[in-house]
Amino acid sequence: MIWLIASALLFSIGAYGALTRRTAILMFLSIELMLNAAALSLISFSKMLGSLDAQVVVLFIIAIAAAEVAVGLGLIVAIFRRRETTGVDELRQLRG
Amino acid sequence: MVIGLWEILALLALVGSGLAVVRLQNAVHAALALIANFLVVAGVYVALEARFVAMIQIIVYAGAILVLFLFVIMLLSAASANVGQDLLPRLPWLAGFGALGLASVLIFAVTRFQPPANAPALGGGLPQALGPLLYDPERWLYALLAVGFLLLVATVAAVVLIEPERIVPATSHPAHRRQDKKPSPPISEQKDERAVVKR
Repeated sequence: MIWLIASALLFSIGAYGALTRRTAILMFLSIELMLNAAALSLISFSKMLGSLDAQVVVLFIIAIAAAEVAVGLGLIVAIFRRRETTGVDELRQLRG
Repeated sequence: MVIGLWEILALLALVGSGLAVVRLQNAVHAALALIANFLVVAGVYVALEARFVAMIQIIVYAGAILVLFLFVIMLLSAASANVGQDLLPRLPWLAGFGALGLASVLIFAVTRFQPPANAPALGGGLPQALGPLLYDPERWLYALLAVGFLLLVATVAAVVLIEPERIVPATSHPAHRRQDKKPSPPISEQKDERAVVKR
């Protein structure tokens, strides 16, 4: 039970970081924190319900996080090449 | 469930390193705090009978993914968290309230959960227990194959996004010279053209 509360706290902290950080890389770090909080809650449910399926899902979460980081950091590097910045406040060329 | 000293210490370490991730002003320090957070989470996984996932967490998450983060932060010299001008300078407290509300809702939700009294044992969550599930065609085998394919596609996408051919100026690249009749302008002029078109 305490780990479910810990995962709720970590998820909220990650959400706070994703809202307040101003560079793409730091927002990305906060999102990793949220992803990890979700994995922690899955493992905790797996222990309480006695089911191994949740642990398999956490393995998939880690693999998908690796794919996400590869694509996301590729995007950040590509944006940095064109704009010389990773600040999300300056990337607003798409506004209407 | 008895709450002992270890649970309290791990909870404090988790919340403290999480706050460090979202508050530290140096991106390298924030990434290192995230590594600490992941290591504590791996310890919690061991305590929750998920030893294989804990090993993968340390090797893949803390070892590979976060090192990739650190590498990109240092490659782009993007360690500073204060860049540009803040468009909404007085609103971070609103994000704090939102996070507090989210935390209270989530904690309310998870404390409603009543675990069954006699849950079956997990066998420590060792690979011997997880492997038959992963490779069972009626459980997770096709999901596993799909995730492998996704990783391959993501790798190719990362290479395409980085655009390796733009590193070499277009005029000196032999492949471009063969296709284009007139020499294309160097990279700096191309950039200017693009900027003009976008405005």
